[in-house]
Amino acid sequence: MKNLFFLLTIIILATLGLNWPIFLNFFYCKPDLLLIFMVALVFYTDFKTALIFGILAGLAKDVFLPWALPINTICFSIWSYSVYRFGRQISTEENYVRLAVVLAVGMLNNFVIGIQSVSTGNIMPPGIFLRNLIIVSVYSTLLSPLIFKLTKK
Amino acid sequence: MFKLSRKTLINLILVCCVILLVSNFLSCFKNPAQKIFKPHLSFIDLVKRELSGVIFYHRNMIQAERLQNDVDLLRWRLFDLRELSQENVRFKNLFNFKQKSPLHLVAARVIGRSLDSWSSSIVIDKGRYNGIKSGMVVISPKGLVGSIVESTDNTSKVLLINDPNQGIFSIVQRSRQEGLVSGTLGSNLIMRYLPDEAQIIVGDIIITSELSQIYPKGLLVGRVVNVGREFSGLNRYALVKPIVDLASIEEVLVIIP
Repeated sequence: MKNLFFLLTIIILATLGLNWPIFLNFFYCKPDLLLIFMVALVFYTDFKTALIFGILAGLAKDVFLPWALPINTICFSIWSYSVYRFGRQISTEENYVRLAVVLAVGMLNNFVIGIQSVSTGNIMPPGIFLRNLIIVSVYSTLLSPLIFKLTKK
Repeated sequence: MFKLSRKTLINLILVCCVILLVSNFLSCFKNPAQKIFKPHLSFIDLVKRELSGVIFYHRNMIQAERLQNDVDLLRWRLFDLRELSQENVRFKNLFNFKQKSPLHLVAARVIGRSLDSWSSSIVIDKGRYNGIKSGMVVISPKGLVGSIVESTDNTSKVLLINDPNQGIFSIVQRSRQEGLVSGTLGSNLIMRYLPDEAQIIVGDIIITSELSQIYPKGLLVGRVVNVGREFSGLNRYALVKPIVDLASIEEVLVIIP
């Protein structure tokens, strides 16, 4: 039942991401809802569930992106494992620690995707690179309490 | 039988004369009389209105609520009709363009946009069943939109021209100067590989070149908004503003070769 709910959440968040209203864009950026959900799963479920649904969330993202390489699937599984390991080192009970983790994961994920895009020869002005790196991560962090609440339930 | 006395008759005539006289000068009395009466009549009316407002408060409240609901409903309907009207205009433009164009076109609606900020793509509601295949060109009545990168049975993914992975061999319409236009994820495109002596100025129109393998010749790409020199100093570049508003595009046309 819980697994079905997680699957449904991934579908809803992917649909929401695809149809994210333009007026909710922050500096032309939209939040990475699936990434927040992946981090929330590590916090609120066991590692196995978090990893499986983290991979599924990454897959859902890659399905709708115009790239051949499933970079989000790969990254999401790595971030799931990293956050799990990190969570064993320090206490992630406090909300601000969780938000900091989302911010860090968001920045890492965006950095990896950005570097991958630039390294393939694409031209990207530094301003746009930084905008996608910082604004998307911050926007995702600000929205993460909502996704956390949803996952907790 | 019916006999009026002389006195009565004179009185009757006098009364008639007075009435005639008064009616003749009635307009002269109207204005001052109304001026005199106005203040207290207004005051009485105000009191009456306020009193009826207090007495019929509940009835008025219900009536006001009902009217407010009606206003909301009508406002919503108006908004709906405005939306329909705008959609109708867009469809009309698409239809006219499709009728006039010598190309074989398939109209499609945008059903989704890119999931992240590192790519610029849209998902359209037409796929292989409608003859759409990977590599086909997507346009709007205004100009070039992008190309199909993936197609399923019922949907297709379109890589927009402002995606960094997109490369369009284009020319400047005025001087026929060639260059490669690619996306930057920003609001402008970049035209690269322009030689030092390239004849390109702000305001020039950029169209697709016949050398392009994918795009038909002459499709409108955008307008030059800035010309600069590349960091290496060897070439120049031009920033191109796309003709099509890619952020709010809702319907597109796919060119079937």
